[in-house]
This record gives sequence, structure tokens and C-alpha cells, in this order.
Amino acid sequence: MSWMESLIDFVRKYRLLVALLVLGPPLIYLAIYFFAPFLITILYSFGFIGRRGVITWEFTIKYYQQALRWVYLKVFYNSVVLAAITTVGSILMAYPVAYFIAVKAPKKWKNLLVVSVMVPYWVDFLLRTYALMNIFTMLKMMFTYEAVIIGMIYDYLPFMVLPLYANLEKLDKSLLEASYTLGATPLKTFLKVTLPLSKPGIASGTILVFVPAIGEFIVPSMLGGVSVTTIGTLTWDLFLKFHNWWRGAALSILYIAVVLVTLIIYMRKVGELEI
Amino acid sequence: MSIRDKVMGLYSAFVYAFLYVPILIVIVFSFNESRTLGHFTGFSLKWYQVLLEDKVVWVAFYNSLNVAVITTLVSLLLGTLSAYGMIRLDIGGKGAIDSLLYVPIIIPEIAEALSLLLFYKFSGYDLGWLTVLLGHIAFDISFVYVVVRARLAGFDRSLEEASLTLGANEVQTFLKITLPLSMPGIIAAALIAFTLSFDDFIKTAFTTGPGFQTLPLIIWSQSARGGVGPELNALTTVIMAISMTIAYIYARLTMEKQ
Repeated sequence: MSWMESLIDFVRKYRLLVALLVLGPPLIYLAIYFFAPFLITILYSFGFIGRRGVITWEFTIKYYQQALRWVYLKVFYNSVVLAAITTVGSILMAYPVAYFIAVKAPKKWKNLLVVSVMVPYWVDFLLRTYALMNIFTMLKMMFTYEAVIIGMIYDYLPFMVLPLYANLEKLDKSLLEASYTLGATPLKTFLKVTLPLSKPGIASGTILVFVPAIGEFIVPSMLGGVSVTTIGTLTWDLFLKFHNWWRGAALSILYIAVVLVTLIIYMRKVGELEI
Repeated sequence: MSIRDKVMGLYSAFVYAFLYVPILIVIVFSFNESRTLGHFTGFSLKWYQVLLEDKVVWVAFYNSLNVAVITTLVSLLLGTLSAYGMIRLDIGGKGAIDSLLYVPIIIPEIAEALSLLLFYKFSGYDLGWLTVLLGHIAFDISFVYVVVRARLAGFDRSLEEASLTLGANEVQTFLKITLPLSMPGIIAAALIAFTLSFDDFIKTAFTTGPGFQTLPLIIWSQSARGGVGPELNALTTVIMAISMTIAYIYARLTMEKQ
């Protein structure tokens, strides 16, 4: 056991070195394959040209000026509107379900009901959106705005149900009974007790749906075709169709800025994400 | 149950139907004999036969599996290391490191995908298997970190202390106490990492090169411009069956924890 003793000795003696050995590999990996790419994206958005290590750079803000032109601002606006409709729609669909599972459903069914929401949560949007294409083709609804909205709600719904359920599950039911005993109607109890207490759940769900929905690419592209343009479809086209990386980079940086600002406001107001 | 509860139950049933009917329709029409959508003319396995004989599909399946398995192993190692380090090591700056590890989950996937593409172009990588793999790992580390960390934070540390007091050394304590107790978290993380990678479309589409296709890329290219068909339904059924089985196992695992 002497090697083990010397290992333990080593661990005790060189705490900082051990920390480096443990935390170093994951952090270095992320630095190279996650954070460095973002720095490069920022450089590109300012006119950087680098191919295979050869660099030519003339600093310019013209790509941001292009990305802030009226046509693009309209795309931003459309994306935010679509994300907002998706968020409101999924709250309306998810809230009663989450409430039903958390408060009303018989205990033996609870797990099954939660699992049934969790399972689609792990299937990629591409596959579930393809599944919807079957129905919309039959209903001759392909490439309509309605199809895109239904598709967005369909894909994002589990992201709303789960945080709402997690919140409502913790709801102290004696508060509801107290409210009834004191003579409040069910509607009043809901508006004055349940709804205010579930605000953190609604907030978590809103962040989980609204933020990624702004940049959604798969749903508008598959179900909307060319009729619906969002930040996601625009980014895709700029990169993979037109190879205009610089404008695409500027657009993406602006989008990330919007996302981060939204999240920071959220964190300040509500605190931790619940999921 | 009051009328109100029944209405709520009915509404919930409707929402569950909304979630599952599209998936059921894909499955049903993958067994349809004829090509026409909406008319079930008879049960047939012939579209699965077509899939089985399709070389392109087999290669893509192998590619998806290959990337997902390696991604799972590497991100499991790196993610668990970071979770263990963050929970157990006594060092400064943990808050900052924790935030850094969360960033990949928060940043929208398409933004991450295009930044990887720019990075690869800049560094002179040839796009293909390796570039897809490296991107998947970068994304999955954070998910493994979050899940394993939650597990490690949740278990009773006095068990480790008891083990040390009773004369076991740090290594024995780690192998006999810490590792077995964090196993459910590690397994759950592995399941998430595998599904996220196996299903992934956007990052793969941005970082792949000519000649390297995964299953989601096939579905994308064949369903473009509204092309829905029984072969694609069969393929989607297979991929969904794999991911949903894994998701189900994951859900059962995390339920038991509660």
C-alpha cells in the first residue's frame, strides 16, 4: 500500500496542483472548443478575416451597421413576437396540466404523468417537428404561420410543464384549504393564492421557452419554409447558404447580447433558475 | 372529483394527446403499406426493409453511434472531474468557474454552432468526424457537470467522514463511498449526454463536412421542402424509439431519487 500512501501524501501536500489536475482538463477543453470560438466570432463581427491561420484584419463596424438595418431589425422583431406567442401559448397549455399533476392527480399516476412529459423533452426538435410535418401535410397546412406557431408550442411545451410542475408540487395545500375555509371561491383562491405562489415557476418556464425560442431555426424552417424568417433561419442562411460569415457573426453577437441581457434581468429579479 | 377537476383532467388529457398523437402518427404510417399519407391501406414492414438495405442509412447510423458513444465517454470523464473538483476541492474562485461551466447550457445552440464553424475554418481543421465530435463534447460537458454536481451535493457528506474516521484512507473512501453513491448521477448524466449527441442536428449541420452524415442530417435533407414519406417515418421511428427509451430510463432513475 505504499504507493497509495504516497498518493495520499501527495494529495494532502499539493492541494493546488491536485485542483489543477482535476479542474484543468475540463476547463482547458471548454476554453479551446467553447470560449475561443466565441472570441473568434466577436473578431469576425468586426471584420476579421482568418483562414487557416492567415490573418488579414481591417477593423470595421460595418457588419453591425448592416445587421441593424431595418430589414434585419424586422426579423429580430418577428422572432421576438413569435417567441412571445410561443411562451404565452405554452403557459396556457402547460399550467392546467402542471396543476393537475401536482395537486389533483391520484398519487399512483403522478410518476407516469411526469415521465410522459419528460420523455419528449429529450427527443431533438428535428424529429418531433418532422412528426408534425405528417399531420400538417394531411391537413394541407404546411408553410403557414399557424403551423409554425403550433409547432413551436408543441416543441417547447415540456420546457414549460416541468418547471411549473416542480413549483406547484411544493405548493402548501393547507394554504388552499385555509383560503376555502375563509370563504374564498375557487377562482379567488387561484388568483390570490396559487397564482402568486407559482410565479417563480412561471418565470423559470418563461426563460426556458422564450430565450431559445427567439433563435429557433428548426421549426420555422421546416414548417414555415420561406414564408417565415427568424433570427435562426437568417443566421443559417447567412452562414450555410450565402457564406457571409461577417454579417452572420455580427447578427449572432447581437442575439447573444439580447439573450444575456434578458437572463441578467431575470437573475436580478427572480434569482435562481428552477428546474 | 368535482366537475371542475374533471374539466381540468380532460384538458390535461387533451394536452397529452397533443404531445403524443404526432409521434403515434409517424409510427403508424411507418407501417403503412402504401405511400399515400392519411390512408392506412394495410400493415407492412417493407419500409423498414428499405431502411435495412440502405447503405447510406447504415453508414449514418454508425456515424451517429460512434460520435455519441465517444462524446458520452469523454464528456462523462471531463464533466465528472469538474463536478468533483467543484464540490470537494477547497479553492478560491469557485463562483466564477461555476458560471463558466454553465455558459454552454445558456448560449443558444445555433450561436455556438456557428462560432465552432468559424473556429474550425480559422484553425484549419478539415470538417468531418473530428470536428463534429469535438463540438458535441464541448456542449455535453456542462450537462454532465450539472447532473453529477447535483448528485454529489445531495448526498450526506458525513458518510465520507465516517469512513475516514473508521480508518479508511482518502482513496478507499473515494472508491467505496463517494463513487458508488454518485453512480446514479453519473449514469443519468451518461444517458443525457448520449441522447443530446445522438439526436443533435444544428451543431452537426454546421460542423460537418462533405462525406460525414449522421441520421438527423438524413432526415433534414430528405424532409426539406415538405418531403414526408414512409421511409423517413420508419427512420424517425427508429431514432425516436432509441431516444425515448433512454429518456424513459433517465426519468425512472431521477424519480427514484426523489
